[in-house]
Amino acid sequence: MENVLLQAFNGLINGAFYALLSLGLAVIFGMLRVLNFMHGALYMLGAFGAYLLTAELGLSFWWALVVSPLAVAAVGFLLERVFLRWLYDLDPLYNLLLTFGLALAIQDGMRLRFGMQGVPYSAPPQLQGALQIGVMFFPTYRLFVLAFSVLVCLGTWWVIERTRVGMVIRAATEKPMLTRALGIDVDRWIPPVFAFGVALAGLAGVLAAPMRNVSPLMGADLIITTFAIVVIGGMGSILGSVVTGFIVGVAAALGAVYYPPIANTLVFILMALVLLLRPQGLFGSAEAG
Amino acid sequence: MRSRAAGWGLLLAVGLALPWLIYPVLAVDILAWGLFAAAFDILLGCTGLLSFGHAAFFGTGAYAAAVVALRLGVAFPWDAVAGAVAAALLALPLMALSIRRTGISFAMITLAFAQMVFYVANAWRSLTGGENGITGVPRGEVLGWSLSPAVAYYYAAFPLVALGLLLCWRIVRSPFGRVLLAIRENEVRTQSLGYPVSRYKLIATVLSCALSGLAGGVWVLNHGFVALDAVHWTTSGTVVVMVLLGGMATRLGPLVGAALVMLLRDFLSRWTDAWGIATGTIFIAVILVFRQGIVGTLEGLVAGRGGPAAAPAAPPVEEAASGLR
Amino acid sequence: MARGTTAESRTGITRRRFLTAAGAGVAGAALAPLASPWPRVSRAQGAVRLTHGKLVIGIINDQSGVYADLAGLKAVEAVKMAVEDFQKKYGQNAVGGPIEVISADHQNKPDLGSAKAQEFYDRDGASMIVGVDTSSVGLAVANVAAQKRKIHINVGAATSALTNDNCNKYTFHYAYDTVMLANGTATEVTRKIGKNWYIVYPNYAFGQDMNRSFTRAIQKAGGKVLLADATPFPNDDFSTYLIKARGMRPLLNIVGTMHAGQDLVNFVKQYNEFGLRKQGLNLAIGLLFLSDIHSLGVQAYQGTLYTTAWEWSMDRQAREWADRFLARTKVRPTFVMAGDYSATWQYLEAVRRAGTDDSEKVVAALEGYRFSDFFIRNGGIRKQDHLVVHDAYLARVKAPNEVKEPWDYVEIVSKIPAREAFLPLSQSTCKMGA
Repeated sequence: MENVLLQAFNGLINGAFYALLSLGLAVIFGMLRVLNFMHGALYMLGAFGAYLLTAELGLSFWWALVVSPLAVAAVGFLLERVFLRWLYDLDPLYNLLLTFGLALAIQDGMRLRFGMQGVPYSAPPQLQGALQIGVMFFPTYRLFVLAFSVLVCLGTWWVIERTRVGMVIRAATEKPMLTRALGIDVDRWIPPVFAFGVALAGLAGVLAAPMRNVSPLMGADLIITTFAIVVIGGMGSILGSVVTGFIVGVAAALGAVYYPPIANTLVFILMALVLLLRPQGLFGSAEAG
Repeated sequence: MRSRAAGWGLLLAVGLALPWLIYPVLAVDILAWGLFAAAFDILLGCTGLLSFGHAAFFGTGAYAAAVVALRLGVAFPWDAVAGAVAAALLALPLMALSIRRTGISFAMITLAFAQMVFYVANAWRSLTGGENGITGVPRGEVLGWSLSPAVAYYYAAFPLVALGLLLCWRIVRSPFGRVLLAIRENEVRTQSLGYPVSRYKLIATVLSCALSGLAGGVWVLNHGFVALDAVHWTTSGTVVVMVLLGGMATRLGPLVGAALVMLLRDFLSRWTDAWGIATGTIFIAVILVFRQGIVGTLEGLVAGRGGPAAAPAAPPVEEAASGLR
Repeated sequence: MARGTTAESRTGITRRRFLTAAGAGVAGAALAPLASPWPRVSRAQGAVRLTHGKLVIGIINDQSGVYADLAGLKAVEAVKMAVEDFQKKYGQNAVGGPIEVISADHQNKPDLGSAKAQEFYDRDGASMIVGVDTSSVGLAVANVAAQKRKIHINVGAATSALTNDNCNKYTFHYAYDTVMLANGTATEVTRKIGKNWYIVYPNYAFGQDMNRSFTRAIQKAGGKVLLADATPFPNDDFSTYLIKARGMRPLLNIVGTMHAGQDLVNFVKQYNEFGLRKQGLNLAIGLLFLSDIHSLGVQAYQGTLYTTAWEWSMDRQAREWADRFLARTKVRPTFVMAGDYSATWQYLEAVRRAGTDDSEKVVAALEGYRFSDFFIRNGGIRKQDHLVVHDAYLARVKAPNEVKEPWDYVEIVSKIPAREAFLPLSQSTCKMGA
């Protein structure tokens, strides 16, 4: 029993990555109706950003945690202005393909520069080692990741629920036509919202760097799972993407304990069930679906 | 009429000359992927359904053809046809469930099913060989002619693929196809006109999946080999890319897109290791510049002319967009 | 410095090794019903006659995907280097005509690999294809080789199927396979470090084969596999299994990972994160390349035991070659790069022995040939299954303070003699058509 609790808790940590990634994806989809296929590539850029800042500029992890997501946001802002914005009036399929092409190019560019095997990165000295809390034994860094991402998700939720910017995002996400009809300039908010969404991916990348392989393809397969999570949560549902991220993290961890081979397929079985039984997603409203 | 006949003649001539212009194995790959893309476009271009799980049917066709050829000794073209049948049988239940959704939900549910098929293909090692795949699939012979030489196999596969392509094109222009187009434009209205929309959609999807399975069968005999990547989601992605590059809802678009992707892949394999940058850049350029695909753009330039390229006009993209919202 | 046994010295060496092998065979008593794997090699060697006036060697491998760093374009350089060195030794007319090297990136797509192989053999007139990492692509190319009746020497794919169920007359497997990896690591670690294992393997053919081979070898060495878990593939996070491992103390001593590429790095990073080594759980790795250690640093892997086919710093002969390779490519070679060089060289030697590039005759010249070079030691090409057997090595990753120069990451712990390192012929399931 203790073991199961421990595994479930551990699942929350993987869930934290899913939550950050799908939150960014959901915000972008809600506002822009773009399925951002390069989300995984930007997650990877966030991790490499941390590596460059630490290894080449000698900055600490804490600086990387702030600077790297901002850099990824800048990259995202630029890509949005140069490429994505021409296609908003078209089928979302075109932006899906465009971002797919961008992801291929970004990943390959990083491979040519850094090689395929990736680069080393360690946790900051303050967070190395492990904590023993009762029967729970956990690497300190993982506890930090969990706490920090929960804070970021809560912060995002607060911005979206309580501020004027958030009101526009919510309105544009849930009732795009009506919002425009009311004369709210949605387009003005598109670039910053996109930058914010990819910054979350960059942040997830920095957090992943000490735990996972920092390599050009680190985000390539993650993207499909993240899509599934956004769909399960409800397309464009902010709360849904976060909660589902954590749920899938825990479900995959428990799946891995009881029947390991199924762990990766579990999320797709869930997605199929949700789409058949509740197509608007677990947390989506019928209108937005 | 004359220019139309000339168009068909030119197409046939290119088809027959292809294995002398490029390496025949590559030429068969273009046939197989071209058929796959055309079958896929029955759904995307004609019915407005984006499947993101078509690898499941292409792959099932490939595995089925490999198994019947290798274990039961079924000869060409019946092994490839068995691939089509297997894909159709798999498609029937999966698509009956999937077509209850439209737009992105349809794309995602087909992706989910395809991922499950991938999982089964990996786990069922006694049948599929798992990651190692099935090797040594024989091409056999037709009417006493050995299909071992790549050129011989090309000419054996050509009529089969041509038949498949004709079927795709025929469907689009038939009364049946008109109803599909109506469903794409306005599903609710079509329903209210008394058409059994679900049945039409199911028939269209199963046909599309069966032809994808046929393409998989042709493809597996070309290589004598099938492994997990045939059912991987990247294969589903590749066929979407082909159709969009070539131009959806155009007659030749899927073929052109398939040819372009295969030629590019082949060329880059030999001349650079930076295929990701090259491929990515080309996608980006095509999406930004030739938004309606290569054939779609060309059709726009020579609007009103006859010939096989003049399929039902590409839908204005803004309208197609509504299908996915 | 590659060195094929010269015509003058070969007879003596062959006879001596033949006797050694025969002795081993009697001791093992398992080979009795089979013909000796080492029939005498014909020594006839005249001028070489090439079918098309030139000799074309193809190398197909992953140049842009997950395995790009362990072979990739550097391995293409190795093959070119082998050809140049060969011509330096035997003259420009070493094989009776010019030698050309062509290469392609299979992007880890078996259909692309198979199409390129067919094109190389048919259109470019390649008489041999070397390389082909990734098991699925390797099996696809072997299949093409059998159809085209052209030679394929695989260096880089791990699957033992190449010399068992999927063996064929024209395919040879060089350097390593899953059985060799298990024989070395599982046996030695069980004997020397701990008997109770927890095996974690990726759930696809490579992982399943490794799990089976390891389990067999561990049990044979008197150890026990307490638990074996299949993980999804690919996988970012292995903490579930590491927590499980922690719960299995104090009985458990060894955590064995059979992952490769990115998954391996993830596993090792997280093994360190959970501090399992400090808790008495040693790490054994199924397959490790120099490029893996280079990317993550020795610290992450220090103390890890694994089996390797070769290591650049293992002796003077290996180091001499590696120095030349470094000068040319700016990196130290993985054993796959070195293996590609060696396989190319041995193929060229066989063409000279056969006096032609005709596949049937070159296959005959390769079968049963015994040799040593900078890469292969006490090597022999088994006639019955075309497995190239040779000495393998148990290696240990150094601690950071033991590293004396760049790329100096590995120490050889012990040698595993050729006859113990690979699957005994009596257990091979290869049925080669005549």
